[in-house]
Amino acid sequence: MAPPPYGAGLAGILPPKPDGEEKKEEKVDYLNLPCPLPFEEIQREALMSLKPELFEGLRFDFTKGLNQKFSLSHSVFMGSLEVPSQSTETIKVPTAHYEFGANFLDPKLMLVGRVMTDGRLNARVKCDLTDNLTLKINAQLTHEPHYSQGMFNFDYKGTDYRAQFQIGNNAFYGANYIQSVTPNLSMGTEIFWLGHQRKSGIGFASRYNTDKMVGTLQVASTGIIALSYVQKVSEKVSLASDFMYNQMSREVTSSFGYDYMLRQCRLRGKIDSNGVVAAFLEERLNMGVNFLLSAEIDHSKKNYKFGFGMTVGE
Amino acid sequence: MASRPSLKPKPKGKGGRKGPQAAGEEQSTAAAAARFVKEWTTWTMKTTKVAVHYGFIPLIIVIGMNSDPKPTLAQLLTPV
Repeated sequence: MAPPPYGAGLAGILPPKPDGEEKKEEKVDYLNLPCPLPFEEIQREALMSLKPELFEGLRFDFTKGLNQKFSLSHSVFMGSLEVPSQSTETIKVPTAHYEFGANFLDPKLMLVGRVMTDGRLNARVKCDLTDNLTLKINAQLTHEPHYSQGMFNFDYKGTDYRAQFQIGNNAFYGANYIQSVTPNLSMGTEIFWLGHQRKSGIGFASRYNTDKMVGTLQVASTGIIALSYVQKVSEKVSLASDFMYNQMSREVTSSFGYDYMLRQCRLRGKIDSNGVVAAFLEERLNMGVNFLLSAEIDHSKKNYKFGFGMTVGE
Repeated sequence: MASRPSLKPKPKGKGGRKGPQAAGEEQSTAAAAARFVKEWTTWTMKTTKVAVHYGFIPLIIVIGMNSDPKPTLAQLLTPV
């Protein structure tokens, strides 16, 4: 048994080392700010807590690793998918599909491909061209003509800023830039142009985060204002809330949710200003085996979605 | 007398047409070139799309099977 560092007696006399003081004494070095999160991820914590992948039906995912870097995945889904509709009625389409996927994950190159039984291919490529420049390609290809989509992103990471340039099909061009202003605050802008519809837009976003909380604000010329706030109550619990105002359709939506990350499970629940209550549970039954339960209840639209599933593999 | 259809306006028309026709020829070669480039880029886009659609997943599998440590074909094909 090793003796305590100070000796049993001294440990009671010496005052406990104050942790907070070390951080307060650091002077802010404005020339050495940390690199901010990418522009599309500033609302990451809020999205992770408030928008789990709710589904209706049966879902089974099996990932088989052949290698550290290479793995295959098989995924089965049987249930209803919601089709976005203009009227207040929700339209559900019962579907069943099998999806085969292959992933190759390297520090410098990531290739993810998923193909479904109806021939739809979902492809993602992420390639580090140099230390600071990354190319990302995201594509959904279908056999039906004119329904395929693709997007090329070039990301440049500087010391305390990030810039991104996007090119998409239908002559979509976009660019965004985000800069760390203080160690806790980062602000960014984005601009996009849709060629075929001759629409353009500009937006502004900012993110303030400390160890315990994250607050973000996003304003866009398309008439959308979005705010979100996430508070980390403890290591295992965080609470999130989000607010969105759409000026074009005069809609205001607000939601409040919780995220419990426990050892054996992860439980996320939320309630909406439209009266929608949702919950998502991932329970770890065994090493690599997860059991999923998803529920979403909307009394006003009479839309009840319950799903269950299982994920095997990493 | 009723006016007879006269041949007189025709030479004027022919002369008049020669001018715009020469310019029209130049325009049509430029237009033909532009059309050719556009058709060729459309053809390449369509072929690339088909190539990517059929070849992306096999490409990932080939790259994966050649990475270290090399997995065997049996490992690729068995479900477990």
